[in-house]
Amino acid sequence: MSATMKALTMMAIALPTMFAVILIFMAATTGLHKMFPAPAEEEGGDEDDDD
Amino acid sequence: MEALIQQYPWLDELLMGFIGLSWKHVVMWAVGALLIWLAAAKDYEPSLLLPIGFGAILANIPHSSAISQVKGEEGFLFVLYNAGIGNELFPVLIFVAIGAMCDFAPLIRNPKVMLFAAAAQFGIFATAVAATFLGFSFEHAASIGIIGAADGPTTIYVASRFAVELLGPLSVAAYCYMSLVPVIQPPVIKAITTSSERKIKMGYENVEPVSQTTKFLFPIMITLIAGMVAPISVALIGSLMFGNLVKESGVTDNLGACAENELANLVTLLLGIVIGGTMEAERFLNVQVIMIMALGAVAFVFDTAGGVLFAKLMNMFSSVKINPMIGACGISAFPMSGRVIAKMALKEDPTNFIIQHAIGVNVAGQVASVVAGGLVLALIPALAKM
Repeated sequence: MSATMKALTMMAIALPTMFAVILIFMAATTGLHKMFPAPAEEEGGDEDDDD
Repeated sequence: MEALIQQYPWLDELLMGFIGLSWKHVVMWAVGALLIWLAAAKDYEPSLLLPIGFGAILANIPHSSAISQVKGEEGFLFVLYNAGIGNELFPVLIFVAIGAMCDFAPLIRNPKVMLFAAAAQFGIFATAVAATFLGFSFEHAASIGIIGAADGPTTIYVASRFAVELLGPLSVAAYCYMSLVPVIQPPVIKAITTSSERKIKMGYENVEPVSQTTKFLFPIMITLIAGMVAPISVALIGSLMFGNLVKESGVTDNLGACAENELANLVTLLLGIVIGGTMEAERFLNVQVIMIMALGAVAFVFDTAGGVLFAKLMNMFSSVKINPMIGACGISAFPMSGRVIAKMALKEDPTNFIIQHAIGVNVAGQVASVVAGGLVLALIPALAKM
Protein backbone atom coordinates (compact mmCIF):
# COMPACT_ATOMS: atom_id res chain seq x y z
CA MET A 1 0.00 0.00 0.00
CA SER A 2 1.43 3.42 -0.94
CA ALA A 3 2.04 6.17 1.60
CA THR A 4 -0.82 8.22 0.14
CA MET A 5 -3.23 5.31 0.42
CA LYS A 6 -2.15 4.78 4.03
CA ALA A 7 -2.71 8.48 4.79
CA LEU A 8 -6.13 8.38 3.13
CA THR A 9 -7.00 5.23 5.08
CA MET A 10 -5.91 6.95 8.28
CA MET A 11 -8.22 9.86 7.46
CA ALA A 12 -11.10 7.54 6.59
CA ILE A 13 -10.74 5.68 9.90
CA ALA A 14 -9.72 8.50 12.25
CA LEU A 15 -12.25 11.20 11.33
CA PRO A 16 -15.40 9.08 11.84
CA THR A 17 -13.86 7.50 14.96
CA MET A 18 -13.11 10.94 16.29
CA PHE A 19 -16.67 12.13 15.77
CA ALA A 20 -17.94 8.92 17.43
CA VAL A 21 -15.68 9.53 20.45
CA ILE A 22 -16.77 13.16 20.60
CA LEU A 23 -20.45 12.12 20.49
CA ILE A 24 -19.79 9.79 23.43
CA PHE A 25 -18.02 12.66 25.24
CA MET A 26 -21.02 14.90 24.54
CA ALA A 27 -23.53 12.38 25.84
CA ALA A 28 -21.46 11.62 28.93
CA THR A 29 -20.80 15.30 29.66
CA THR A 30 -24.49 16.16 29.29
CA GLY A 31 -25.39 13.29 31.62
CA LEU A 32 -22.79 14.36 34.17
CA HIS A 33 -23.96 17.99 34.07
CA LYS A 34 -27.57 16.92 34.62
CA MET A 35 -26.67 14.46 37.36
CA PHE A 36 -24.84 17.07 39.42
CA PRO A 37 -26.56 20.42 38.87
CA ALA A 38 -24.98 23.46 40.47
CA PRO A 39 -26.58 24.54 43.74
CA ALA A 40 -27.97 28.07 43.69
CA GLU A 41 -25.01 29.51 45.61
CA GLU A 42 -22.52 28.30 42.95
CA GLU A 43 -24.15 30.45 40.27
CA GLY A 44 -21.85 33.15 39.09
CA GLY A 45 -18.88 31.29 40.54
CA ASP A 46 -17.61 29.97 37.27
CA GLU A 47 -17.54 32.91 34.96
CA ASP A 48 -15.18 32.71 32.03
CA ASP A 49 -12.28 34.96 31.35
CA ASP A 50 -13.86 37.17 28.72
CA ASP A 51 -11.86 40.34 28.56
CA MET B 1 47.68 25.16 7.96
CA GLU B 2 47.81 21.36 8.23
CA ALA B 3 51.58 21.47 8.45
CA LEU B 4 51.30 24.06 11.20
CA ILE B 5 48.88 21.88 13.12
CA GLN B 6 51.13 18.86 12.69
CA GLN B 7 53.97 20.86 14.13
CA TYR B 8 51.91 22.31 16.96
CA PRO B 9 49.13 19.78 17.73
CA TRP B 10 47.69 21.96 20.49
CA LEU B 11 46.66 24.46 17.79
CA ASP B 12 44.05 21.98 16.57
CA GLU B 13 42.47 22.00 20.00
CA LEU B 14 42.45 25.80 20.15
CA LEU B 15 41.23 26.39 16.60
CA MET B 16 38.80 23.49 16.17
CA GLY B 17 35.82 25.83 16.33
CA PHE B 18 37.13 27.96 13.46
CA ILE B 19 38.42 25.02 11.44
CA GLY B 20 35.10 23.17 11.71
CA LEU B 21 32.98 26.20 10.83
CA SER B 22 30.94 26.04 7.63
CA TRP B 23 28.37 28.33 6.00
CA LYS B 24 25.66 25.96 7.23
CA HIS B 25 26.57 26.70 10.84
CA VAL B 26 26.37 30.42 10.18
CA VAL B 27 22.95 30.02 8.52
CA MET B 28 21.76 28.12 11.58
CA TRP B 29 23.02 30.90 13.85
CA ALA B 30 20.86 33.22 11.75
CA VAL B 31 17.89 30.87 12.14
CA GLY B 32 18.47 30.81 15.91
CA ALA B 33 18.77 34.59 15.97
CA LEU B 34 15.56 34.91 13.95
CA LEU B 35 13.67 32.74 16.45
CA ILE B 36 15.07 34.77 19.35
CA TRP B 37 14.08 37.98 17.55
CA LEU B 38 10.53 36.68 16.89
CA ALA B 39 10.26 35.82 20.59
CA ALA B 40 11.80 39.01 21.98
CA ALA B 41 10.69 41.65 19.49
CA LYS B 42 7.43 40.21 18.17
CA ASP B 43 6.25 38.27 21.24
CA TYR B 44 5.66 35.10 19.17
CA GLU B 45 5.46 32.24 21.72
CA PRO B 46 8.48 33.72 23.54
CA SER B 47 8.72 31.06 26.23
CA LEU B 48 9.30 28.43 23.53
CA LEU B 49 10.90 30.22 20.62
CA LEU B 50 13.55 31.96 22.70
CA PRO B 51 14.98 28.74 24.23
CA ILE B 52 14.63 26.97 20.86
CA GLY B 53 16.55 29.74 19.14
CA PHE B 54 19.35 29.68 21.68
CA GLY B 55 19.44 25.87 21.62
CA ALA B 56 19.85 26.04 17.84
CA ILE B 57 22.89 28.29 18.27
CA LEU B 58 24.39 25.95 20.89
CA ALA B 59 23.91 22.98 18.56
CA ASN B 60 25.61 24.70 15.64
CA ILE B 61 28.89 25.72 17.15
CA PRO B 62 31.38 23.27 15.63
CA HIS B 63 32.31 20.50 18.09
CA SER B 64 29.83 21.95 20.61
CA SER B 65 30.18 20.23 23.96
CA ALA B 66 26.48 20.93 24.61
CA ILE B 67 25.42 18.23 22.16
CA SER B 68 28.39 15.90 22.49
CA GLN B 69 27.46 12.24 22.28
CA VAL B 70 30.91 10.95 23.17
CA LYS B 71 30.64 8.36 25.92
CA GLY B 72 31.59 9.84 29.25
CA GLU B 73 31.49 13.37 27.81
CA GLU B 74 27.81 13.62 26.91
CA GLY B 75 26.60 17.20 26.46
CA PHE B 76 23.82 18.52 28.67
CA LEU B 77 21.44 18.89 25.72
CA PHE B 78 22.03 15.25 24.75
CA VAL B 79 21.47 14.15 28.36
CA LEU B 80 18.28 16.22 28.60
CA TYR B 81 17.10 14.89 25.25
CA ASN B 82 17.38 11.32 26.47
CA ALA B 83 15.85 12.24 29.82
CA GLY B 84 12.86 14.16 28.51
CA ILE B 85 12.21 13.85 24.79
CA GLY B 86 13.51 10.41 23.88
CA ASN B 87 11.26 8.90 26.54
CA GLU B 88 8.38 11.40 25.89
CA LEU B 89 8.47 12.69 29.48
CA PHE B 90 8.57 16.45 28.80
CA PRO B 91 5.46 16.61 26.55
CA VAL B 92 3.53 14.62 29.13
CA LEU B 93 4.61 16.97 31.93
CA ILE B 94 3.59 19.94 29.79
CA PHE B 95 0.15 18.37 29.45
CA VAL B 96 -0.15 18.15 33.25
CA ALA B 97 0.58 21.88 33.34
CA ILE B 98 -1.89 22.68 30.54
CA GLY B 99 -4.57 20.63 32.30
CA ALA B 100 -4.04 22.66 35.45
CA MET B 101 -4.53 25.85 33.43
CA CYS B 102 -7.74 24.72 31.69
CA ASP B 103 -11.26 25.56 32.80
CA PHE B 104 -13.60 23.13 31.07
CA ALA B 105 -16.77 24.83 32.36
CA PRO B 106 -17.70 26.41 28.98
CA LEU B 107 -17.38 23.01 27.34
CA ILE B 108 -19.42 21.25 30.06
CA ARG B 109 -22.15 23.89 29.75
CA ASN B 110 -22.43 23.37 26.02
CA PRO B 111 -20.93 20.00 25.00
CA LYS B 112 -22.02 20.50 21.38
CA VAL B 113 -18.98 22.72 20.89
CA MET B 114 -16.88 19.55 20.87
CA LEU B 115 -18.23 18.81 17.39
CA PHE B 116 -16.58 21.92 15.99
CA ALA B 117 -13.34 20.92 17.67
CA ALA B 118 -13.55 17.50 16.02
CA ALA B 119 -14.15 19.10 12.61
CA ALA B 120 -11.21 21.45 13.11
CA GLN B 121 -8.84 18.47 13.32
CA PHE B 122 -9.44 17.88 9.59
CA GLY B 123 -6.20 19.68 8.85
CA ILE B 124 -4.18 16.91 10.49
CA PHE B 125 -5.37 14.27 8.08
CA ALA B 126 -5.57 16.45 4.96
CA THR B 127 -2.00 17.62 5.55
CA ALA B 128 -0.79 14.07 6.08
CA VAL B 129 -2.20 13.18 2.65
CA ALA B 130 -0.63 16.30 1.11
CA ALA B 131 2.75 15.41 2.66
CA THR B 132 2.73 11.99 0.99
CA PHE B 133 2.30 13.73 -2.38
CA LEU B 134 5.56 15.56 -1.64
CA GLY B 135 7.38 12.28 -1.13
CA PHE B 136 7.33 11.89 2.66
CA SER B 137 6.97 8.39 4.09
CA PHE B 138 3.65 7.60 5.77
CA GLU B 139 5.11 7.86 9.30
CA HIS B 140 6.71 11.22 8.54
CA ALA B 141 3.61 12.50 6.72
CA ALA B 142 1.37 11.62 9.66
CA SER B 143 3.80 13.33 12.05
CA ILE B 144 3.79 16.44 9.83
CA GLY B 145 -0.02 16.36 9.80
CA ILE B 146 -0.02 16.55 13.59
CA ILE B 147 1.16 20.16 13.29
CA GLY B 148 -2.52 20.69 12.46
CA ALA B 149 -3.44 19.76 16.01
CA ALA B 150 -2.04 23.22 16.83
CA ASP B 151 -0.72 21.56 19.92
CA GLY B 152 3.03 21.66 20.59
CA PRO B 153 3.28 18.82 23.12
CA THR B 154 1.23 16.45 20.93
CA THR B 155 3.43 17.31 17.95
CA ILE B 156 6.58 16.61 19.98
CA TYR B 157 5.10 13.41 21.41
CA VAL B 158 4.19 11.98 18.00
CA ALA B 159 7.39 13.19 16.32
CA SER B 160 9.61 11.73 19.03
CA ARG B 161 8.01 8.37 18.37
CA PHE B 162 7.68 8.30 14.59
CA ALA B 163 9.81 11.07 13.07
CA VAL B 164 12.60 11.74 15.51
CA GLU B 165 14.85 13.16 12.78
CA LEU B 166 12.19 15.79 12.03
CA LEU B 167 11.57 16.73 15.66
CA GLY B 168 13.26 20.14 15.42
CA PRO B 169 11.49 21.47 12.32
CA LEU B 170 8.14 19.97 13.35
CA SER B 171 8.28 21.64 16.76
CA VAL B 172 9.39 24.96 15.33
CA ALA B 173 6.61 24.84 12.71
CA ALA B 174 3.96 23.95 15.33
CA TYR B 175 4.91 26.76 17.71
CA CYS B 176 5.48 29.35 14.95
CA TYR B 177 2.10 28.76 13.36
CA MET B 178 0.36 28.70 16.74
CA SER B 179 1.66 32.18 17.31
CA LEU B 180 0.59 33.17 13.79
CA VAL B 181 -3.07 32.26 14.34
CA PRO B 182 -4.11 35.97 14.20
CA VAL B 183 -2.48 36.17 10.76
CA ILE B 184 -3.59 32.83 9.30
CA GLN B 185 -7.20 32.42 10.44
CA PRO B 186 -8.95 35.72 9.54
CA PRO B 187 -8.29 35.61 5.75
CA VAL B 188 -9.32 31.95 5.55
CA ILE B 189 -12.53 32.65 7.45
CA LYS B 190 -13.32 35.67 5.29
CA ALA B 191 -12.76 33.63 2.15
CA ILE B 192 -15.36 31.00 3.06
CA THR B 193 -18.00 33.04 4.91
CA THR B 194 -20.27 35.91 3.93
CA SER B 195 -20.47 39.14 5.85
CA SER B 196 -24.00 38.30 7.01
CA GLU B 197 -22.79 34.93 8.33
CA ARG B 198 -20.02 36.63 10.29
CA LYS B 199 -22.62 38.95 11.84
CA ILE B 200 -24.79 36.14 13.24
CA LYS B 201 -25.41 36.73 16.92
CA MET B 202 -25.44 33.88 19.39
CA GLY B 203 -27.47 34.11 22.57
CA TYR B 204 -26.65 33.07 26.09
CA GLU B 205 -30.06 31.66 27.00
CA ASN B 206 -30.34 28.55 29.16
CA VAL B 207 -26.74 28.81 30.27
CA GLU B 208 -26.63 26.78 33.44
CA PRO B 209 -23.78 27.11 35.93
CA VAL B 210 -21.51 24.09 36.33
CA SER B 211 -21.25 22.43 39.72
CA GLN B 212 -17.88 21.77 41.32
CA THR B 213 -18.72 18.05 41.44
CA THR B 214 -19.21 17.99 37.67
CA LYS B 215 -15.93 19.81 37.10
CA PHE B 216 -14.22 17.34 39.42
CA LEU B 217 -15.64 14.22 37.74
CA PHE B 218 -15.23 15.48 34.16
CA PRO B 219 -11.48 14.75 33.82
CA ILE B 220 -11.89 11.25 35.24
CA MET B 221 -14.76 10.51 32.86
CA ILE B 222 -12.95 11.82 29.78
CA THR B 223 -9.81 9.83 30.64
CA LEU B 224 -11.77 6.61 30.99
CA ILE B 225 -13.66 7.07 27.70
CA ALA B 226 -10.63 8.18 25.65
CA GLY B 227 -8.46 5.52 27.26
CA MET B 228 -10.89 2.74 26.38
CA VAL B 229 -11.12 3.90 22.75
CA ALA B 230 -7.39 4.45 22.23
CA PRO B 231 -5.28 3.11 25.12
CA ILE B 232 -2.19 4.54 23.44
CA SER B 233 -3.59 8.03 24.10
CA VAL B 234 -3.77 7.51 27.87
CA ALA B 235 -0.39 9.17 28.46
CA LEU B 236 -1.56 12.32 26.66
CA ILE B 237 -5.18 12.61 27.73
CA GLY B 238 -4.41 11.18 31.17
CA SER B 239 -1.75 13.76 31.93
CA LEU B 240 -3.94 16.61 30.61
CA MET B 241 -6.85 15.46 32.73
CA PHE B 242 -4.64 14.75 35.76
CA GLY B 243 -3.55 18.38 35.73
CA ASN B 244 -7.18 19.45 35.52
CA LEU B 245 -8.24 17.07 38.31
CA VAL B 246 -5.56 18.52 40.59
CA LYS B 247 -6.89 21.99 39.84
CA GLU B 248 -10.57 21.15 40.26
CA SER B 249 -10.33 18.83 43.27
CA GLY B 250 -10.32 21.75 45.67
CA VAL B 251 -8.03 19.88 48.05
CA THR B 252 -4.73 20.16 46.18
CA ASP B 253 -4.55 23.84 45.40
CA ASN B 254 -0.81 23.88 46.05
CA LEU B 255 -0.25 21.07 43.53
CA GLY B 256 -2.46 22.83 40.98
CA ALA B 257 -0.56 26.07 41.45
CA CYS B 258 2.75 24.22 41.16
CA ALA B 259 1.62 22.47 37.94
CA GLU B 260 0.48 25.63 36.22
CA ASN B 261 3.43 27.73 37.32
CA GLU B 262 6.66 26.03 38.39
CA LEU B 263 6.17 22.80 36.44
CA ALA B 264 5.01 24.61 33.30
CA ASN B 265 7.89 27.06 33.43
CA LEU B 266 10.60 24.53 34.22
CA VAL B 267 9.58 21.98 31.61
CA THR B 268 8.98 24.67 28.96
CA LEU B 269 12.46 26.01 29.62
CA LEU B 270 14.07 22.59 29.20
CA LEU B 271 11.81 21.49 26.34
CA GLY B 272 12.62 24.55 24.27
CA ILE B 273 16.37 24.42 24.58
CA VAL B 274 16.47 20.66 24.00
CA ILE B 275 14.40 21.00 20.81
CA GLY B 276 16.73 23.76 19.69
CA GLY B 277 19.59 21.38 20.38
CA THR B 278 18.21 18.95 17.79
CA MET B 279 18.43 21.60 15.05
CA GLU B 280 21.88 20.74 13.76
CA ALA B 281 22.69 22.22 10.35
CA GLU B 282 23.00 18.81 8.67
CA ARG B 283 19.49 17.90 9.78
CA PHE B 284 17.84 21.28 9.39
CA LEU B 285 19.14 22.81 6.20
CA ASN B 286 17.39 20.78 3.56
CA VAL B 287 14.38 20.95 1.26
CA GLN B 288 12.37 18.73 3.60
CA VAL B 289 12.34 21.43 6.27
CA ILE B 290 11.09 24.05 3.80
CA MET B 291 8.32 21.64 2.79
CA ILE B 292 7.46 20.99 6.47
CA MET B 293 7.14 24.71 7.13
CA ALA B 294 4.85 25.07 4.10
CA LEU B 295 2.79 22.04 5.11
CA GLY B 296 2.40 23.49 8.62
CA ALA B 297 0.66 26.51 7.14
CA VAL B 298 -1.50 24.20 5.02
CA ALA B 299 -2.50 22.30 8.16
CA PHE B 300 -3.71 25.44 9.91
CA VAL B 301 -5.63 26.56 6.80
CA PHE B 302 -7.36 23.16 6.53
CA ASP B 303 -8.15 23.18 10.28
CA THR B 304 -9.75 26.59 10.04
CA ALA B 305 -11.70 25.70 6.91
CA GLY B 306 -12.81 22.36 8.41
CA GLY B 307 -14.25 23.98 11.53
CA VAL B 308 -15.95 26.84 9.71
CA LEU B 309 -17.45 24.66 6.98
CA PHE B 310 -18.76 22.21 9.58
CA ALA B 311 -20.49 25.08 11.40
CA LYS B 312 -22.03 26.18 8.09
CA LEU B 313 -23.20 22.61 7.52
CA MET B 314 -24.83 22.55 10.96
CA ASN B 315 -26.60 25.81 10.15
CA MET B 316 -28.28 24.11 7.19
CA PHE B 317 -30.04 21.70 9.54
CA SER B 318 -30.62 23.92 12.56
CA SER B 319 -33.23 26.58 13.20
CA VAL B 320 -30.94 28.30 15.72
CA LYS B 321 -28.10 29.72 13.65
CA ILE B 322 -24.48 29.54 14.75
CA ASN B 323 -21.88 32.10 13.82
CA PRO B 324 -19.71 29.87 11.61
CA MET B 325 -16.56 31.69 12.67
CA ILE B 326 -16.59 29.87 16.01
CA GLY B 327 -15.86 26.64 14.12
CA ALA B 328 -12.36 27.97 13.52
CA CYS B 329 -11.69 28.01 17.28
CA GLY B 330 -11.68 24.21 17.40
CA ILE B 331 -7.91 24.16 17.19
CA SER B 332 -5.81 23.81 20.30
CA ALA B 333 -4.19 27.27 20.19
CA PHE B 334 -5.82 28.45 23.39
CA PRO B 335 -6.99 31.12 24.11
CA MET B 336 -5.55 32.93 21.10
CA SER B 337 -7.91 31.47 18.51
CA GLY B 338 -11.02 32.19 20.62
CA ARG B 339 -9.97 35.77 21.11
CA VAL B 340 -9.10 36.31 17.44
CA ILE B 341 -12.53 35.10 16.35
CA ALA B 342 -14.31 37.15 19.04
CA LYS B 343 -12.46 40.24 17.80
CA MET B 344 -13.43 39.45 14.21
CA ALA B 345 -17.10 39.27 15.24
CA LEU B 346 -16.83 42.62 17.00
CA LYS B 347 -15.20 44.12 13.95
CA GLU B 348 -18.13 42.99 11.78
CA ASP B 349 -20.68 44.19 14.30
CA PRO B 350 -19.59 46.05 17.45
CA THR B 351 -22.62 44.66 19.32
CA ASN B 352 -21.84 41.01 18.58
CA PHE B 353 -20.21 39.37 21.62
CA ILE B 354 -19.40 35.70 20.90
CA ILE B 355 -16.36 35.41 23.16
CA GLN B 356 -17.90 32.81 25.49
CA HIS B 357 -18.96 30.57 22.62
CA ALA B 358 -15.58 30.98 20.96
CA ILE B 359 -13.68 30.15 24.15
CA GLY B 360 -15.92 27.12 24.70
CA VAL B 361 -15.00 25.74 21.27
CA ASN B 362 -11.36 26.63 21.89
CA VAL B 363 -11.31 24.66 25.17
CA ALA B 364 -12.92 21.73 23.37
CA GLY B 365 -10.05 21.98 20.89
CA GLN B 366 -7.66 21.07 23.72
CA VAL B 367 -9.48 17.78 24.21
CA ALA B 368 -10.11 17.06 20.53
CA SER B 369 -6.47 17.63 19.54
CA VAL B 370 -5.33 15.10 22.12
CA VAL B 371 -7.94 12.61 20.96
CA ALA B 372 -6.79 13.14 17.36
CA GLY B 373 -3.18 12.70 18.48
CA GLY B 374 -4.12 9.46 20.23
CA LEU B 375 -5.84 8.13 17.12
CA VAL B 376 -2.84 9.00 14.96
CA LEU B 377 -0.54 7.30 17.48
CA ALA B 378 -2.69 4.19 17.32
CA LEU B 379 -3.06 4.16 13.53
CA ILE B 380 0.50 4.91 12.41
CA PRO B 381 2.01 1.57 13.54
CA ALA B 382 -1.07 -0.35 12.43
CA LEU B 383 -1.11 1.12 8.92
CA ALA B 384 2.68 1.23 8.52
CA LYS B 385 2.74 -2.58 8.58
CA MET B 386 0.40 -2.81 5.57
